[in-house]
Amino acid sequence: MTRITKGLWRGALTAAALTLATSAMAQSDLKIMAPAAPGGGWDQTARSMQQAFTQSGLVKNVQVTNVPGAGGSIGIAQFVNGAKGDPNQLMVMGYVMVGALLTNNSPVTLAQVTPIARITAEYEAIVVPANSPIKDAKELAAAVKADPAKVTWAGGSAGGVDHIAAALFAKAAGADPTKINYIPFSGGGEALAAILGGKVTAGISGYGEFESQIKAGKLRLIGMTSPGKLPNVDGPSLKDQGIDLEIANWRAVVAPPGLSPEQTKTLTETVDKLAKTKEWQELLKAKGWDDAYMSGPAFAKYLSDEQAKTKEVLTSVGLVKS
Amino acid sequence: MDAFVSLAHGLTVAIQPMNLLFALIGVLLGTAVGVLPGIGPALTVALLLPITFKLDPGGSIIMFAGIYYGGMYGGSTTSILINTPGESASMVTALEGNKMAKAGRGGPALATAAIGSFVAGVIATAGLAFLAPYLVDVAVQFGPEDYFALMCVAFVTVSATFGDSPVRGLTSLFIGLLLGLVGIDILTGQARMSFGVPDLLDGVEVTTLAVGLFAVGEALYVASRRHLVEEKLEPVRGSLWMTKEDWKRSWKPWLRGTAFGFPIGALPAGGAEIPTFLSYSTEKRLAKHPEEFGHGAIEGVAGPEAANNASAAGTLVPLLTLGLPTSATAAMMLAGFQQYGLNPGPLLFAERPELVWGLIASLFIANVMLLVLNLPLVGLWVRLLAIPQPWLYAGILVFATMGTIAANPSVVELMMLTLFGIMGFLMRRFDFPIAPVVVGLILGPVAEGQLRRALSISLNDPMVLLQSPISATLLVIALIALILPFVLKGMSRFKATED
Amino acid sequence: MESPSSRRPDVAGLAIAFILLALAGLIWWDLSRLQLNAVYGVGPKAMPMVVAAGLGILAIGNAIAAFRGDLPERESLQWQPIILIIGGLAVMMGFIHFGVGFILATTVLFAATAAAFGRRAFLVDLAIGFVLGLIIYVVFSKLLALSLPMGPIERLL
Repeated sequence: MTRITKGLWRGALTAAALTLATSAMAQSDLKIMAPAAPGGGWDQTARSMQQAFTQSGLVKNVQVTNVPGAGGSIGIAQFVNGAKGDPNQLMVMGYVMVGALLTNNSPVTLAQVTPIARITAEYEAIVVPANSPIKDAKELAAAVKADPAKVTWAGGSAGGVDHIAAALFAKAAGADPTKINYIPFSGGGEALAAILGGKVTAGISGYGEFESQIKAGKLRLIGMTSPGKLPNVDGPSLKDQGIDLEIANWRAVVAPPGLSPEQTKTLTETVDKLAKTKEWQELLKAKGWDDAYMSGPAFAKYLSDEQAKTKEVLTSVGLVKS
Repeated sequence: MDAFVSLAHGLTVAIQPMNLLFALIGVLLGTAVGVLPGIGPALTVALLLPITFKLDPGGSIIMFAGIYYGGMYGGSTTSILINTPGESASMVTALEGNKMAKAGRGGPALATAAIGSFVAGVIATAGLAFLAPYLVDVAVQFGPEDYFALMCVAFVTVSATFGDSPVRGLTSLFIGLLLGLVGIDILTGQARMSFGVPDLLDGVEVTTLAVGLFAVGEALYVASRRHLVEEKLEPVRGSLWMTKEDWKRSWKPWLRGTAFGFPIGALPAGGAEIPTFLSYSTEKRLAKHPEEFGHGAIEGVAGPEAANNASAAGTLVPLLTLGLPTSATAAMMLAGFQQYGLNPGPLLFAERPELVWGLIASLFIANVMLLVLNLPLVGLWVRLLAIPQPWLYAGILVFATMGTIAANPSVVELMMLTLFGIMGFLMRRFDFPIAPVVVGLILGPVAEGQLRRALSISLNDPMVLLQSPISATLLVIALIALILPFVLKGMSRFKATED
Repeated sequence: MESPSSRRPDVAGLAIAFILLALAGLIWWDLSRLQLNAVYGVGPKAMPMVVAAGLGILAIGNAIAAFRGDLPERESLQWQPIILIIGGLAVMMGFIHFGVGFILATTVLFAATAAAFGRRAFLVDLAIGFVLGLIIYVVFSKLLALSLPMGPIERLL
C-alpha cells in the first residue's frame, strides 16, 4: 500500500478504487502535469499524450493539470514535493526547464525526479533577412569573430535554448561568448518581426517558427543545429559548414521521486507503448513534432549530461554565477 | 479590385450552412468566455484544439475567429455591469461604463459598446481584407525605438485618468510601475523584486491586479460605507436604449476608436490596451462636457470599446500575411492552422485562397451575428443589477476568485488578489485614482524592454530615438500632447485678463 | 480645501508618504542585489532607479499635501464588513491550500460576503454558495477540462 503514502484526501477515496483496478490493467489512472499555462508547448504535449493514452486504451483515465510559472520552476517544486512516491503521475518538461532551474536558482533540481523518456526534439535554425549580405554560416562566424557587438541576435528569453545556441555559435566561431549582443524578445512573433524588419543581424529559434518565411523567400536559412542535413529541411547543418555546434530543444516526461525500480519500469513500459501507438504517431505528424523517443537508462544519462553541459554554457556566458 | 472578387468567393464559402453553424458556435462560446473574468479567448481556443482536431479545417478556423471576436464583445459586459474587467483590454471600459450602469444607464452603455464593437469590427475587417499587404510592410518596419516612442505617447494619455490631483495620480502610476518591476527581467533573465518567492518570478498578472483593484476593492469600500449611504441600484433609469443624444455622442468616438485600434493592433508588439488608453484620453479632450468623465460619459465607453475590437481585427493582419502571432489568442489560432498542416503567411493566400477569404468573409458574418445576439441580451444583462446587493457582491467575489485560480490554481495568486483588493479599498478611501496603477503595470515593462533593446542594438547610442522617422514623429506627438494643455490654459488665462 | 483639520498635519497622509518612501527604499535595496549587468545598452538597474526616485519625490509631495491638509475628508467606516470579506477570502485560501476543495471554499466566501452586506440568513447563503460553486466546478472540469482545486466533494463528481 505504498501508493497511499501521500495525501490524506487523495488516499481514502481513491486508493481503494486504484488497487482494484490496477490488477486488471497496467495503468488505469494517470495524472500528467504540464508545468505551464494552458496553450503552450508543454501543455499541448501533455494534452496530446492524454488524447493518445485514452484513445488507444492504454490508460483509462488521464487528467492534465496546469501549474504555470517561471519556466516550470513552480511546477517541478510542486511535483517533487506533492507527488513523491506516486507511480500514477507524470510531468512534461523540456530543455527550457534545465536552463530555467539554473538561472532561477531553484532549490529543486532535476536530479530529484525519476527520468522516464524523451519524446520529441526540435533543432534550432539560424536565419538572416533575405537582403542580408551574409550568405552562409562561415560569413556569419567571421562577422561574429570580427566584432561580436555588431552582430545582433533576436531570439527568445534570456538563458533559454536560443540564447545558449547563440553563445555556442560565438564560441565555435572563436569569439568571446560573453560579448554576444543577444536581444531577448517576448513571444515568437516579436522576434520574427524584428528579423523581417531587418532590425537585427540574425535570428535564432526552432525551425518551425521560420519555416514559412524561409519557403516564401523572406528569410535566408544559415544553418541548422543538427548533427547533419535534415531530410525535411532545405538547407545544411552548421556542422556541415565546419561550425561545431549541436543543440536540440527537446521535450520529455519524468516521474516523481521515490519510486521503486518496478514502479519505474511499469511506468516506462506504459510510455514506451504509447510511443508506438498509431494514435500518437498521427498526433506527432499533425503537430509537426519530430519523434525523438529515448527511454530507460539512455535517457537518464542524456538528462544528466544535458544538465552538466547547460550549466557550463550558462556559466561561461555569465548568466549563472558559479 | 482583385480583393473584391476574392472576397465574393470567400462569402460563398462562409455562407455554407456548416460554416455558418461553426461561426455561430464560435460567437456563442466567445461571448460566454468573454463574460467570465480570467478565461480569455486564448484559453478557450487552447482547450478546444484537441476537440477540433478531427473537424474540417475551414470550419474550425472560422469557429476560432468567432470565439476571438465574441470574447472581445463579451469582455465589456462584466466591465460595465459589475466593474470586473474580463481582460485588460476592457479595463478602460469599466471607468465610465460602470458609472453609467450605477446611474441606471447600463442599457445605453452596453448598447454603445455592442454597436461600437460592430462598427469597429466591420471597418477593421474591411481593412484586413483590402489593406493587409500594405499595412504589414509598415508594421514590420517598427523597431524597438519606435515602440518606445509609442509607449511615450501612451504615457502622456494617462493623465486623462488622474482625477483632480496630479500628485495622487502620479503616485498611482508609480505604484503601477513598481508592480511592473516584479519578476524576471526579460533582458538579463534575473529576478527583480521577487524576494525569493517563485510565484512572483512571472510578474504580476494584469487581470489579477485589475480585478483586485476594481471588483474586490469596490466590494470592500461599499460594504464599509453601508451604514452611511444605502447604495440603491436602479437597473434602468430613463431609456433602456440609446437616445438620439447618445447616438450623436457615440458615432464619432466609434470611428476614432477604430482608427486607433486597427493600426496599433496590426503592429507586432502593439497590443489591445494601448489603443483603448489613447481613445479614452482623446475622447476626454474632445468632449463637449469633459466634466462628465469619471461620472459616466458615454464617449468613454464608445471609443475604447471600438478600439479594442478594431485591434482584434488588426492582430489578424500579421497573423494571416506573415504567420506572426502577436497576441496569445493569435498564437493559439496559429497552432490551430498548424494542426492541419497549414502555415499562415504569404504562401497561404496563394495556396489556399478559399480558406483565407472564407475566414475573412466569416468575420463579417460573425460581427453581424454578435450584434444580433448582443442587443437583445442588453435587457437581460441589466436585470442582473436587480439582484439584491448582498448576493450581487457575493457573486462578484466568487467570479473574481474563480477567474484568478482557473488558469493558475495557486494560493499565492489569491493572496495577491486579496492584497490588491485591500489596496483598492484604501485608494478609494484616500481618493487616489485606480486606473493609472493598471496602466503603469501594462506600459512600464514594455517601455523599459523596448528602450533597452533599442539601445542594445544601437550600442548605447541614444540618437537612435531621433534617427528613426517613426520614433521621432511619435516623440514630437507625445511632447505636443504633454505641453498643449498647459499652453491652452495659459492662453485662456491670458485672454481672460486681457478682456 | 478649507477643512477644519488643515491646521494639524493629516496622520494618514503622512503614513502614506512614509509607505511610499519605504517602497522606494525597498526597490533600492533590491536593485543593489542584482548581480548580472547587460553587456550592451542600459542595464536592469536603470528602471528600478527611476521608479525608486519617482516614489521618493512623490513621498515628499504627499507629505506636503498632508501638512497642508489637502487630503479629502473621510467618513467613518465600519470594520466589521471588511473583516468578514477578507476573512472569507482567507478561509478560501486556507481551504484550497489544505485540499478542502474549490466548492466548499466558494461556499464560505459567498456566505461571508453576503453577511458583510447585511444578510442574516447565513444557512440559506451557504446553500446558495454551495450550489454556485458546484455549477462552476462542473462547467469548468467537464466542459473546459480545466482543473480547479480539488477536495473530497470534487472527487465524488
